[in-house]
Amino acid sequence: MADLTTKFASLTLKNPVTTASGTFGYGLEYADFYDLKKLGGVIVKGIKSAPSDGNKMPRVCEVAGGMINAIGLQGPGVDAFLHGEHYLPALKKLGATVIVNMWGTSVGEYADVAARFDAENDGIAALEVNISCPNVKAGGAAFGTDVKRASEVIRAVRCAVRKLPVIIKLSPNVTDITEFARAAEAEGADAISLINTLSAMAIDIEKKRPRIANVTGGLSGACIKPVAVRMVYQCHKAVKLPILGMGGISCGADAVEFLLAGATAVSVGTANFVDPYAPLKVIDFINDYLDRHHHKSVSEIIGALEL
Amino acid sequence: MAQAQIRENSILHGDYHKIVFAAPEMAAKARAGQFVHVRIDERLDHVLRRPFSIHDTDPQSGTLTVVYKVVGSGTKNLAAKKAGEFCDLLGPLGSTFTACADDVIPVAVAGGYGSAATFLLTRECKQKVVLLIGARTKKELVLDDAYRACGCDVRVATDDGSCGTQGRVTALIAPLVAENPGKKFFFYGCGPLPMLLALAKTLREMKLDGELSMDEIMCCGVGACFGCVVKVNDLSSPQGWHYERSCVEGPVFPLEKIYLEQ
Repeated sequence: MADLTTKFASLTLKNPVTTASGTFGYGLEYADFYDLKKLGGVIVKGIKSAPSDGNKMPRVCEVAGGMINAIGLQGPGVDAFLHGEHYLPALKKLGATVIVNMWGTSVGEYADVAARFDAENDGIAALEVNISCPNVKAGGAAFGTDVKRASEVIRAVRCAVRKLPVIIKLSPNVTDITEFARAAEAEGADAISLINTLSAMAIDIEKKRPRIANVTGGLSGACIKPVAVRMVYQCHKAVKLPILGMGGISCGADAVEFLLAGATAVSVGTANFVDPYAPLKVIDFINDYLDRHHHKSVSEIIGALEL
Repeated sequence: MAQAQIRENSILHGDYHKIVFAAPEMAAKARAGQFVHVRIDERLDHVLRRPFSIHDTDPQSGTLTVVYKVVGSGTKNLAAKKAGEFCDLLGPLGSTFTACADDVIPVAVAGGYGSAATFLLTRECKQKVVLLIGARTKKELVLDDAYRACGCDVRVATDDGSCGTQGRVTALIAPLVAENPGKKFFFYGCGPLPMLLALAKTLREMKLDGELSMDEIMCCGVGACFGCVVKVNDLSSPQGWHYERSCVEGPVFPLEKIYLEQ
C-alpha cells in the first residue's frame, strides 16, 4: 500500500485523482454511487457571477473514441452555489475536497467572482479559473487563446485572491501551450490544469447540418489523450508550477501516463459518463502500479519519464 | 449499476426489438416513466451509454424489459446481443409518471414506440388504461397488442389510415372525452417531440391535465453533464423559461411545465 497523499500547490490531497469540471455536475449527482471523500478532489462545474442558461440543444454528440459537447457553461451562479442546498453546503456535509471552477465574461467579472469565493471560502479548497471553454461567446477561450488577455485575467484573479490557491485551466487550442503556462507562472498562479477540450465539429450528412446546435464544440474522451499527455509533458518542462493533468483519462493506466509526463494530480472527465466509478478504479490502479514498481509514494513517479 | 444478464433479445416486428434483462433490484424499484442507461459494449466508437424507457418489470422473476428500435449502430449492436450475454445497466433513473386517483381514467398517448414508456401504468393504475396510439403506418404500431392483452381500450390513429383513424393521435382525445361525460381524465404522453408539443397544446386547450415524457439526447444520465436539457415554463424568468435536465428533473414533466417552443 503506497502513500497516495499528493501535495498540490499548498493543498494536501488524499490522492492525486479528481473529477474534471463539467463532467461531475456539482458532486451530489454522484454521491449515491460512492463516498465523495474517497476522491482527491471534486472539481465542480463552472460558476460565474449570475445564473447562466448555456447553449441551445442539441449540446452533445458521440464521435469515434469520444464526444463533442457545447453545453455553454449552464450554471446556478455564485450565490446559489455558495448557499443553495444542492451545492456547496451539501458538499461540505459530505466532507468532499471541493475545487471550484469559475469563469467570467470580462476581466472584472473574473476578479469579482474570484474575490467572492475567496471571501466566502469555507468548504472550498481551491479555485480553478476557466480561461479555456471553447463554447461560450464571451469569456472562456476568448481569454485563454490570447496570451496578453490570459495574463490580464490571471493577474486580476491573483490580485483578488489572498487565501485560496489559484489553478489556471489552459486551452489546448493554441499553437504553443507553454506560452500560456509561462504566463500563468509569471502572473503568480499557484498551479495550472490542462487540457480543456479540443475545438471540434461533427456533421449529420443526411440532414446536412452540424450535429450540435453551437456548430462547433469541445472534443473529449479517450481520443484526445495523446494530445493531452504531450501538452502536460511540454508544460512540465517549461514551468515549475504543479500540473493538474487531464484529457481522455479512461482508466488507471492513462492516469499513470499523465503522472509520468509530469502531472502532480489528474482529473477524470468524460469517463464519468460511461462509468460513474471510473475515478475510484483509477485510484486503485495507481496504488497497485506503485506497489508493482516498488514505489513508496505517488510523488516518486511524477515526471519520472525516462528518455 | 449492475451487470445484467440478457434473458431474451428478440424482434417484435420490423426494426422493433424486445430485450429482457435479469436485474432484480432495478425491477423491484422501477416505476412507470423511468429509464435504464445501458452500456451496450466497450467499443471505442460507442463510448456513451444509451437511455431506454423501462417497458415492463417482473419483480417476481427479477426481470426488466426494454423495447427499442434499431436506429443507429449502437442499437444495431444491442440487437446482435444474445441471451446469456451481459450489459452494464444504470438505473432505474429519472422521474416517474404519477399513478392517478381511482376515480380518474388514465389515458396513455403514445407516438410510435412511446407506448413502451407508459406500459407500466397498466400495472400501477387501478382503473384500466386507455391507450391512444399514433404512428405513420400500421407497421410502426408497437405494443398495442400488449395493452389489449391487459384489457385496455386501445384506439389507433395512423398518418396513412392503414390502421384505425386516419390522422394524428391527438385527434382521438376529443371523442374519448365526449363519450365519457362527467368523467375525469389524466393523460400520460410519450413520443417524438413534435407529437408531444401538439399533445401539450391540445390538452391545454381542452383544459385537461397530464404528464409528458420529454427525453433528449443523453450523456451521463444522472444530471452531471447538462447535455439533455429541455425548456420548462418559468414565469419568473424574463424569457419565460429555463432549462431542466431530462435525466433528473425529467424525463416525465407535468403538463404545466411544458414550454411549447423547444
